Amino acid sequence: MTYPDPDDPVPPARPGVRPFLQSGPQHSTGGYTPTGEQPPVEASTTKLRPFVITSGRTDGGDPDIGMETQVTLVPGAPPSRLSPETRAIVSLCEESPISVAEISARLRLHLGVTRILVGDLRAAGQLDVHVLENDTPDPDTIMRVIRGLRSIS
Amino acid sequence: MDFDPSANRVVGTARIPGAPAPKKAPVPVKIIVAGGFGVGKTTTVGAISEIAPLTTEAEMTSESVGIDNPGQAVLKTGTTVAMDFGVLTIDQTLKLYIFGTPGQTRFAFMWDDLVKGALGALVVVDTNRIDDCYPAVDYFERAGLPFVVGINTFNGQMAYSVDEVRWALAVREDVPVISFDARFRASVRDALLVVLDQALDKAIRMKS
Repeated sequence: MTYPDPDDPVPPARPGVRPFLQSGPQHSTGGYTPTGEQPPVEASTTKLRPFVITSGRTDGGDPDIGMETQVTLVPGAPPSRLSPETRAIVSLCEESPISVAEISARLRLHLGVTRILVGDLRAAGQLDVHVLENDTPDPDTIMRVIRGLRSIS
Repeated sequence: MDFDPSANRVVGTARIPGAPAPKKAPVPVKIIVAGGFGVGKTTTVGAISEIAPLTTEAEMTSESVGIDNPGQAVLKTGTTVAMDFGVLTIDQTLKLYIFGTPGQTRFAFMWDDLVKGALGALVVVDTNRIDDCYPAVDYFERAGLPFVVGINTFNGQMAYSVDEVRWALAVREDVPVISFDARFRASVRDALLVVLDQALDKAIRMKS
């Protein structure tokens, strides 16, 4: 007897079937999935359209721009003609520093597309992209995370 | 797009007097939450995040090796996957990102982007479907990323004990195998603290 997690979109594995085989089309007919975790979207909807915005570039942009990389507005940046997507990115950065992943999620832009556009805006002097010089975690930072996490209840 | 490449990096020189001082960007750190489909990754992320989990779509290149059908050709596919993530502000200068990453299929993942700079990973396991987490375990072992196996207990129900799961996964002795409940913040916090302990051990070893 199992008690599935209410957030769990997957029915319990049927005996005799390798579980990962069940994660395929079965769920695409299930309508709304509460977790946001979805089976891969069909190629026709993913391959072409997002990268129209990037003029066809699909290289994913600067490898130094990570999902968690922080982005801020360059203060007093000269006005510039921007596409609707890049204008939306700039206005998201107005409030406070924001990560590339958050920009992607809030604007519903593919992560690869977001990275390319953020790179463009950086090159155009509109955005500062705070790439870490050393992305190897150091003990002091980890200790701070541990202390911060311990303090929540 | 026509832009002047020389305009790159003009920070601090073009500041207009009276413009608001730029807010200093916090240092981001991240922990990966991995595991099979529907094992409770999003629940885990949502339990600890200070915002409702967000979803980003990313391209993932994967190599499907014919494990189950020996002789089958290696298939390279690019699939778009939805990745859920959450944020926890440690203080004004430090932010923890928690990325839940799909890993339900027997792929050799190209997770390098995701893992680059990560502190460590929590591999979430459902004891009813233990083998769903094998790809994640394989990947983190190979990548040398500190990780912890966290058995999601789903209302205290575990088909196998912690020891049995450890035996099935055959992970190294220094890889902790723990049980936790993805629905409870304190439980997720404690699981992440075990990940951070592993991360700290590695960081100290690397430094010395």
